[in-house]
Amino acid sequence: MKHIRNFSIIAHIDHGKSTLADRFIQFCGGLELREMSEQVLDSMDIEKERGITIKAQTAALQYKARDGQIYNLNLIDTPGHVDFSYEVSRSLSACEGALLVVDASQGVEAQTVANCYTAIELGVEVRPVLNKIDLPAAEPERVAQEIEDIIGIEAADAVRASAKSGIGIEDILEEVVNRIPPPTGNPDGPLKALIIDSWFDNYVGVVMLVRVVDGQIAPKDKLLFMSTHAQHLCEQVGVFTPKSIQREALKAGEVGFVIAGIKELASAKVGDTITHVRPAADTPLPGFKDVKSQVFAGLYPVESHDYESLRDSLTKLKLNDASLHFEPEVSQALGFGFRCGFLGLLHLEIVQERLEREFDMDLITTAPTVVYELVMKDGTVTQIENPSKLPDPSKYQEIREPIITATILVPQDYVGPVMTLCNVKRGVQRNMQYLGRQVMLTYELPMAEVVMDFFDKLKSVSRGYASLDYDFKEFQAADLVKLDVLVNGERVDALSLIVHRANSVYRGRELVSKMRELIPRQMYDVAVQAAIGGQIIARETVKAMRKDVLAKCYGGDITRKKKLLEKQKAGKKRMKQVGNVEIPQEAFLAILQVSDK
Amino acid sequence: MSAIQFHGGGLTALPPLSLYIHIPWCVKKCPYCDFNSHAQKGGLPEAQYVDALLRDLESCLPLVWGRPVTSIFIGGGTPSLFSAQAIDTLLAGIRARVRLLPDAEITLEANPGTFEADKFAGYRAAGINRLSIGIQSLDDAKLKALGRIHGRDEALRSVEIAHRHFDNFNLDLMYALPSQTLDEALADLDAAIALAPTHLSAYHLTLEPNTLFHRYPPPLPDDDLAADMQEAIEARLAAAGFEHYETSAFARPGRRARHNLNYWTFGDYLGIGAGAHAKISFPDRITRQARYKQPTDYLARMAAGNAAELDQTVPREQLPFEFMLNALRLTEGFPLALFTERTGLPLTRLLPEIDRACAEDLLERTLDHVRPTLRGRRFLNALLERFLP
Repeated sequence: MKHIRNFSIIAHIDHGKSTLADRFIQFCGGLELREMSEQVLDSMDIEKERGITIKAQTAALQYKARDGQIYNLNLIDTPGHVDFSYEVSRSLSACEGALLVVDASQGVEAQTVANCYTAIELGVEVRPVLNKIDLPAAEPERVAQEIEDIIGIEAADAVRASAKSGIGIEDILEEVVNRIPPPTGNPDGPLKALIIDSWFDNYVGVVMLVRVVDGQIAPKDKLLFMSTHAQHLCEQVGVFTPKSIQREALKAGEVGFVIAGIKELASAKVGDTITHVRPAADTPLPGFKDVKSQVFAGLYPVESHDYESLRDSLTKLKLNDASLHFEPEVSQALGFGFRCGFLGLLHLEIVQERLEREFDMDLITTAPTVVYELVMKDGTVTQIENPSKLPDPSKYQEIREPIITATILVPQDYVGPVMTLCNVKRGVQRNMQYLGRQVMLTYELPMAEVVMDFFDKLKSVSRGYASLDYDFKEFQAADLVKLDVLVNGERVDALSLIVHRANSVYRGRELVSKMRELIPRQMYDVAVQAAIGGQIIARETVKAMRKDVLAKCYGGDITRKKKLLEKQKAGKKRMKQVGNVEIPQEAFLAILQVSDK
Repeated sequence: MSAIQFHGGGLTALPPLSLYIHIPWCVKKCPYCDFNSHAQKGGLPEAQYVDALLRDLESCLPLVWGRPVTSIFIGGGTPSLFSAQAIDTLLAGIRARVRLLPDAEITLEANPGTFEADKFAGYRAAGINRLSIGIQSLDDAKLKALGRIHGRDEALRSVEIAHRHFDNFNLDLMYALPSQTLDEALADLDAAIALAPTHLSAYHLTLEPNTLFHRYPPPLPDDDLAADMQEAIEARLAAAGFEHYETSAFARPGRRARHNLNYWTFGDYLGIGAGAHAKISFPDRITRQARYKQPTDYLARMAAGNAAELDQTVPREQLPFEFMLNALRLTEGFPLALFTERTGLPLTRLLPEIDRACAEDLLERTLDHVRPTLRGRRFLNALLERFLP
């Protein structure tokens, strides 16, 4: 065990984590040069485009250190976005150490700070690395100071590196060997293995990435999953280099994959503990949580006959994304679709994009919403995930909304605008700390405000410098009302929103005015109204188009005119027919474009 | 009509055949124009081109053996760049090769600023019996904004000359011009009506793809103002005794453009010259052809014997749309029987969609006739989309 090092990389998006991981793999000969496609650890297309890692993956590397000994380094990749903080904590708890990679030309960001704190809380040794030092704008001294100020770890001797140019790679690996402790654990005790990640493979079923803490795991073992009490027979174990290589067993301290003929991802929950049926461990490893969806949205096919294929697509996506939840939903306006639960906005966007890109679905997505708690008149508490389902106020005594604690890191120059933004979003300031050049703001904010457009606004008021991390805190009672939207007099359930009473009139007015801009003129007037309770608070009219006709069509024009009309028809197909009105996808998300006072 | 019905559809009678001739040169290219026109550089290869046109026609003859030609349209470009002598040679050559009906309408497009009095006399003597004059506007500022080479005075003079030799001529007028007001549009129209044309085409200026205006849009009137203009123009032309018989075409009684009506009733046409299109029916199929567009390409290909860049059978499922794209432009619509006669397809293919459109006040029909309602004419694109395959 003393030659094993398990470590992760903590870094903000774009700070060079994936490139660095590639360099390690290359340096340790995990892949031939021809097998190296850029950023091998990020295997999904979308990840490559967005430059973020969604599913944690891993690489077992053999490194011959300067002391002449060969070490087994297990690099455990972590997701890099606020939506995936639970996965991050599970990845980190499988490690003894973490490299904090900071872009020497940018400095520390809130995301990194949050993950670092998680690592430190879990007792993980955090070693700073200053990346991109070859950039002209690099300020390693200042950034090192910032790391000390904000995170509170020694950073003066942090390794200076450039993953892109291959500078300092060996120094980092030496740092891993010398500064990160080897794993501890009882190799002879009853098996305890932590599920770091799991995914579905078409040929072998569920593949689990595990860290063996105590004991060992081998094919033919009878495995017990401690949270679900499910039993499965171990079929295969091995490591990723990142190519998969079978092993006879995974021993205490090691990281690798386990295949046990599991058909459903739900049976292999991230954070669960695997033990043997006999002898079983007494207690599971700490930290397991059933992850709950935080953000909900309705997904509807543009063409109603695509409902079944949307179901198939979601089912297929769910095979590899246990945090995606969906159940059938019927909207009067949009017909049959699904109410889907996501970890956060990014997760929603990724799912939406994969459905459109990989499964070729044309979708209408309704505005994202959070879960509300309703205390009914009889004292029972129910949850509402769809604003249109909010009953009449006479039916309940209280409505509660989720509140998050947001940590925002922002350069001093932008503190003012960021605080103004937080106040507009009904935030309550809890703390404000000057850390060198940066300021750390802590706010309690209604999550509903954050899932809408908070992140984009935050970026825009701070010219992109502010960064955000958040955690669910509690449900709090609030004066909330349902805002309905009527199109040509008909309530469109898919457009209903739950808003704070204080903002309701303003938002209603802004929303319908935005929708007027987004709904194209049609063959008749389209009235868009906002209503609270039965009362109309705003009205706008999309005036009927006066004409839509081609001025000329002679003998030589047939093909061109046909193409033009085909294009026009295809454009309409992307819109959803509600009653006799064609509403484009953007209009369903118009609320995201409404600015605040 | 023949009594023989083809098994599984097919044409029982061939439609009238007209002839389109394209002259692809202009003095300069206008910024709104997406037609196949090319700025003239140096002298025009007039004789060579007329020779190519006649050989082109000859190459088409096997496709239309024995069928008479009911009308000729010489379009462009600016055909009035050609001399009267060249047009005379061309028409004589055509008469020698096909049977041209004695009362055939023979139109030539002319642009102000490209011809003078004796040229008009020459055109008339060569057999041209209808002119279509591209005045576009009679407002100097607007003509300049449109990039035209002529001004108001030249437009007036050209019409005056036309009058001397032709009793039948069309004026092309455009509205919704850059920065145009309703009053300006109507003043333009009144000035055009005062010139006493037998036919007037009033086009809404459209920004077509692949034009300078499309890339750098001028400040155009908004949709509502443009619609106001259209309504006012229609009303004024009706009051002046013009029949509004097609989307943009207005005519004195008996003066409708027969050549264009043949397009709109899904008739056949040969197309010769650079970039010209043809539609030719056979008992078992309908084909479309297009010639090479670049004048030099066309001449070279014609010298080698064949200038068709495209020659294909229209897929059957496209025919209902293509028919409607044309026929529904006509205010009077069409007799239902014409659909089967021209496409060879059973009417049952079309009726469900027609009835749906009737229910939505886009079409109206009797047992044997269908026509667009006013609403259908205003929203013709939405109506036509329904017939796309």
